[in-house]
Amino acid sequence: MAGIPTTWRPGRRYVGASVAATVAILIAALLIALWVAGQRFASTGSSVTGIGYLLVTSATQAALSTLLSILAGMVLAWTLDRLRFPGRGVVIGLLSTALVMPSLVVVSGLLAIWGRNGWVNFLLAPFGLETGSSIFGLGGIIAAHVVLNGAFSARIFIDRLAAIPTEKLKLGRSLGLGPLQRFAIIDFPALAASIPGVAATIFLLCFTSFPIVLTLGGGPANQTFEVAIYQAVRLDFDLGAAVNLAIVQLVVCAAIIIPASTLSPAATLFGSPGRMHWPERPWLTGIQQIVLTILLAGFLAPLIAVLGEGFGAISNVLTQSGFWRATATSLIIGTLSALLAVALGLALGMARALQARSSLWRAVLGFPVFAYLAVPAVVLSLGFFLLARLTGLAPTAVAPLVLILSNALLALPFVFATIAPPLEALTRRHHRVIRSLGMSSFRQWSRIEWPLLGQPIGYGLAVAFVFSLGDLGVISLFGTSEFSTLPWLMYRALGAYRTNDAEAIAAVLLIVSIAAFILIPKLFEKLTNARN
Amino acid sequence: MRKLMIASVRTSLCAVVLGALALPAIAQDNPTLTVYTYDAFAADWGPGPLLKEGFEAQCACTLDFVSADDSISALRRAQLEGDATEADIILGLDTATIGEGMATALFTEHQLDLPDFDIPLEWTDEVFVPFDYGYFAFVYDTQSIATPPASFEELIALPQDFKIVIQDPRSSTPGLGLILWIKALYGDEAIEIWEGLAPHVLTVTTGWSESYDLFLSGEADMVLSYTTSPAYHLIAEGEDRYRAAKFDAGHYTQIEVAGILASSPNQELARAFLAYLVTPEGQAPLPETNWMYPVLEPTGGLNPGFAEMIDPQPALLLDADEVTANTRAWIEEAFSTLR
Repeated sequence: MAGIPTTWRPGRRYVGASVAATVAILIAALLIALWVAGQRFASTGSSVTGIGYLLVTSATQAALSTLLSILAGMVLAWTLDRLRFPGRGVVIGLLSTALVMPSLVVVSGLLAIWGRNGWVNFLLAPFGLETGSSIFGLGGIIAAHVVLNGAFSARIFIDRLAAIPTEKLKLGRSLGLGPLQRFAIIDFPALAASIPGVAATIFLLCFTSFPIVLTLGGGPANQTFEVAIYQAVRLDFDLGAAVNLAIVQLVVCAAIIIPASTLSPAATLFGSPGRMHWPERPWLTGIQQIVLTILLAGFLAPLIAVLGEGFGAISNVLTQSGFWRATATSLIIGTLSALLAVALGLALGMARALQARSSLWRAVLGFPVFAYLAVPAVVLSLGFFLLARLTGLAPTAVAPLVLILSNALLALPFVFATIAPPLEALTRRHHRVIRSLGMSSFRQWSRIEWPLLGQPIGYGLAVAFVFSLGDLGVISLFGTSEFSTLPWLMYRALGAYRTNDAEAIAAVLLIVSIAAFILIPKLFEKLTNARN
Repeated sequence: MRKLMIASVRTSLCAVVLGALALPAIAQDNPTLTVYTYDAFAADWGPGPLLKEGFEAQCACTLDFVSADDSISALRRAQLEGDATEADIILGLDTATIGEGMATALFTEHQLDLPDFDIPLEWTDEVFVPFDYGYFAFVYDTQSIATPPASFEELIALPQDFKIVIQDPRSSTPGLGLILWIKALYGDEAIEIWEGLAPHVLTVTTGWSESYDLFLSGEADMVLSYTTSPAYHLIAEGEDRYRAAKFDAGHYTQIEVAGILASSPNQELARAFLAYLVTPEGQAPLPETNWMYPVLEPTGGLNPGFAEMIDPQPALLLDADEVTANTRAWIEEAFSTLR
């Protein structure tokens, strides 16, 4: 297979490289601003201890979580791909919502199911099998991470499976492939391209997970690096130490990111989404139904619990003007940061698609995608705060900009994981035709990429939108009583004994997220099909 | 219409004295007093809006609350901003974090003749003004616990499945309060108490909010909070099932304070606000929005619901300098038992 000439599409290459450089410079600037500020303050001595211990525990926990999440995601995607049932679209829409919920909501949802007073214990009580508070501890952390990230990876894998060309399926069916052969020959190659990106994203999320680890971990026994950084900033105000720790975390994460971003994806054929449904044999279908039911119960029960808890109190919050202000803020910021994230993802993805063979370029273009995830939220928000001060702007004035930008960057890995593999497959498959026809870059986009990428782009937009909707990291330094998003409002309500309000806001967040995940991809499918 | 120029501090003081008689001034002539505080204070349901209304009615100024997620963050924010900070006052540090505040060298003396406070100690601080106070305590649910423990020893002696939920002392005031409470009672033996508590600690949360939520949803038997927490349930919800467990050896005190920044161009106005904060009128909004005790009898008296709270005597409090010098070591000591 001849490679893509290195002189082809220079425009796309420059744009991609500039985006990568800009993101890298921004992150460097954030760290430098923090370090410079740190020089101004005498530190009272840092109390951060046991960095080695933290690294080992964080990495172990993240590796376990990642492995289990990918496995669970594959099984879930496999069953959902084979089965057809009413409400399947809604279920697929629901899958990613947990990932992007404020962790506070997720924790309370999980506890409603697995906690001491949860549904599971309620069901087991008559048999004397109560599990007590088993959700707390390392097992609880991993379970929570698998629920969140397994659903996310399943959602991406389903798209990959749905994109397998019909002719491939027809061929497989006529050859009478068994379930195992079918998975190995047809399904796995389609999934393989997105595994590195998804795995790297999940690893970083779990490595830097903070509130979930602290709450479900049962305390200091299970901690992440992020907590140590938080402590250096908050308790000791040792910004220099915080920057050093942040760099260590970046380096560790880079060790994960770089291999993930240089891996050349397996050659996947790529066609228009297959409309052919090829179910498994009846005995296996039965097993799949059982597996799917169990997995969905695990993934969706916490969400249903959140809805159930909050539904009764929704009428309370609907009358508060602050709630509507926060809703408007959240929706506007979510929309803008989603558009920005997808634009950045496309720019980087297009440039990377032209670099099928150069692993150096692939790493350069891949690193900025993940780098932002590896920088602790507390460092980010402080860094942005300082940069705003350096540019002489009032923090309140730049707050919306910072939120849009940081949420877009935070969602970038997810957007990238959905958009980049199909983009690469398209480029690899069609570059000769495109070159021989002398298509312009724009025509290539409007005639080939846009019609075929509607689904991933729609999903990427939805993820980025909901991600921004659920952010609690950056807003905590820039939020005020005037400028508030829904999660911030929820957190504030909790902090003032107003648990019912908080539960209602959580339910609203969840409803908006579900709607976004169902409607945005649908809208895009319509848009792109209209052009076909 | 008469234009009133409020260019000098003296005029604004006159305005304070004249109170409601002062003519409404034109907006752009108003000085703005900016108070950095923690979010729950500035929130719609917090004391902030009520204090703003009360103080603006008599100051011919604009009072703005800028919220950070907690008072330490507010302090750090002012520290990062340096002399350019908009903050005139930082409100919400407490007896455990006054030392951190003093270490920044941002604050200036309040120079006020403070009234006689109704707080558990003689207030001699020249820099910070106390505005409300409370005591740390474990809160429990009478519907599931008949007799709560009355000491740390009794709590430790309970069966292993009796769970408490506490907060991380690095990110939460009550969390730090527990470290100091145990230290004040047991000194060098504190580590033994922590070793006994460790099996009962269900989890350590980042903030107070998460822990209280865990308790309310029945995941833990007791939560570390304030003796006044049940007052919220009683007064705002008409719910009397939640109580604070009285520990005979005493409860640790938290006094919240406000201080003026040396960099503030509005020194007089800042002083006027702190003075207002410790008048009966300024104290009135605090108990039922911040759910803490007022530092003196508020206008209209204290809601009788507060009389039903446990008596926290003897009130415990460690020396501020000792706290600042040892906080990290004490946290490390407590954590070593939880790992």
